[in-house]
Amino acid sequence: MGEFILNVIHRPEMVPEYSATVTGHGKEEDIGDKKLLTESLDIFKTQQRLAHENGLKVTIHMTYAALFNDEAVQIAKDDHEKYGDEIALSLLGLPCEQFRDKYKTKDFCIWMFSMEDKKTIVDDVFAKFHERFGFYPESTGSYYMDAELTNYIKEKYPMVKCAIATCWEEGPKAYHTCNNSWYTLFDGGPWAPWIPSKQNTHAPAADEAEDSGIVAIPHLSRDLLACYDGNGSNFGTHPQNVLRGMIYDSKTWEFPYLYNLIDQYRAQEKYNNGYAYNMMFVGPGWMNKMGRWEAPYELLLKSYSDGCKYYGGLKKEGKLIDMTMSEFADYYRKKKSYTEPECALWRDILYGSDKQLFWYTDPYMRAGVNMDQGGAIFDLRPYAAKLKWEVGIGTKHVQDASYPFLIQEKYRAGYFTHYAGEGTIRSAKICYQGEEVDLCLCRTKAHFSQEGNTRILTLDPVDIEFYDLTVKLQTKLYFAEGEGTIRITREILEMSRPDAQVEINEYMVACYGTTEYPEDMSGILLRCEGSETKEIVYEYKCREESLADAKEVSAVIPAIETKVSMRASEGAEGYVREGYAFSPMFTLGYKKQVSEKEVFATWLKLEKAD
Amino acid sequence: MAQAGKGRLNYRCPACFMRDLDIDMFYDKEKDEYYCLRCQYTGKEKDVLEGNEMVRTKYGAMYQRFTKFDFD
Repeated sequence: MGEFILNVIHRPEMVPEYSATVTGHGKEEDIGDKKLLTESLDIFKTQQRLAHENGLKVTIHMTYAALFNDEAVQIAKDDHEKYGDEIALSLLGLPCEQFRDKYKTKDFCIWMFSMEDKKTIVDDVFAKFHERFGFYPESTGSYYMDAELTNYIKEKYPMVKCAIATCWEEGPKAYHTCNNSWYTLFDGGPWAPWIPSKQNTHAPAADEAEDSGIVAIPHLSRDLLACYDGNGSNFGTHPQNVLRGMIYDSKTWEFPYLYNLIDQYRAQEKYNNGYAYNMMFVGPGWMNKMGRWEAPYELLLKSYSDGCKYYGGLKKEGKLIDMTMSEFADYYRKKKSYTEPECALWRDILYGSDKQLFWYTDPYMRAGVNMDQGGAIFDLRPYAAKLKWEVGIGTKHVQDASYPFLIQEKYRAGYFTHYAGEGTIRSAKICYQGEEVDLCLCRTKAHFSQEGNTRILTLDPVDIEFYDLTVKLQTKLYFAEGEGTIRITREILEMSRPDAQVEINEYMVACYGTTEYPEDMSGILLRCEGSETKEIVYEYKCREESLADAKEVSAVIPAIETKVSMRASEGAEGYVREGYAFSPMFTLGYKKQVSEKEVFATWLKLEKAD
Repeated sequence: MAQAGKGRLNYRCPACFMRDLDIDMFYDKEKDEYYCLRCQYTGKEKDVLEGNEMVRTKYGAMYQRFTKFDFD
């Protein structure tokens, strides 16, 4: 049996998110409201009690506001002594009278401040923490920590070794859910702990030189299927998020989904050398005495109590190890190498569809594979580029901290498009005598295995039916550690007419972006290389080039400093295709005639463009 | 007509929730109904609760407890 690690984090937030807008509706803003402060502290005490009653260790994230509160400071000291809780420092929870008076702003998201302000605030809160506790914290965090912020913290406070650094797929979907008023735009990161690179928080470090010096943990452990197509804040190891999604029985107040989610994370140890991880971090605003949306306080309390009880029960059964964040950082550094990927083979546990996805992250890419679409790659992030992407006031990206995609099937369609054009997807078409079947329409399941340092996804064979020919085809995907490549093989296992030949057209439709809206594709360089070199510089002219026995087909996207290329086994024709204004995409591909028992292999590679 | 306020609980609009939007509704005490600022939904508390049950129909496996997470 593998090891399942849990981090539970609480923060005494003197002005909890939401409380001011929910409790305070119809009143003038009063950030120093004493009633609010008392209630906030009560919630923190309740959370601490529930965790400790269930034998769970906590990392207490002191907020700036809490550092001015003697009772909050004393509770942290006492619980550190009594339960071994870690006293850490949060960069959330900045709003309070002292902060407003000093910084003259209502901004509260650390990653959105100017770099100058980030440094000033970090020094201020770290100094205040030291003043109250006599030492500097080893753990910190926010909803997002940009690389420049982390680098500064690590330089000034080298004892920091763990940070909450992103929230998985909290981007445009969360923004939309909040009526376009919640500016946490950071899609494209890892879903499980990682060592961020110095260049970009989302992209894991490939080696010591790139190591930012911290172990990053995600804010919550998210449902890797539901969050990709819905509001992330409904589907995570945050009991009140499950209530927010209305994923509970309104009569019995039971919510098996939370336990399914936790258990599915436990199951991931099979794909990660015997290790799996969960994080639970509920801000006090979610246990508001006034209730939260349609959930009354009693239900909010029950959900947190039940969540702690479930984790505590697993611990008692020897199925869970609770750690503080700094303990986890030490554990992770011993357990994982830089290039070891994080893998997740994930099934639908909510909608009843039996859909299955595979997620893969390493220092070179994040990729999502959809078995319900024949093993198509539906999300691809080129971490190999280690894109410098500064965020905050004074940068080009004040709010948008997402790592850009090459493929994102929800924001740029996927297989299905309306009327014209193509959506981003990496799939294959099987063609025979004028008929064409895309593997995106072949629903199947996958099995995980590992050979040496290569993770292999073997899909169950699918049948493709043409007018007078049936083809049984099997897809395998190989992720080689440390290479930045994905090898995909298609094997024709059998055909109803063994002498027939079919054409396999391996293709990747891609573009780049971080949101649902198109970016300027001008200047993208498309190239076929082999006996000669053919190039297209993107001008939305719908052009195409092809080359027999092409050694490589590629696209260089200057805006995200990325080169993506494909190679194929011998005898294939490579091609590149430019899009047009109504279909701002490019396509890379290879076509080959294939016979029974033959295997057609292609390699997709991601690199930083010079 | 007096201004609207918040009701006993802070209900969200069921119609907006179905399109992945969390929008607080406001309560019109004269009509004894909740209404949405963003869309055209209006309803009594009973209607809202029924709407919330409709929301749950998309969660086909909501009451199911899974013990197996692969297809091996």
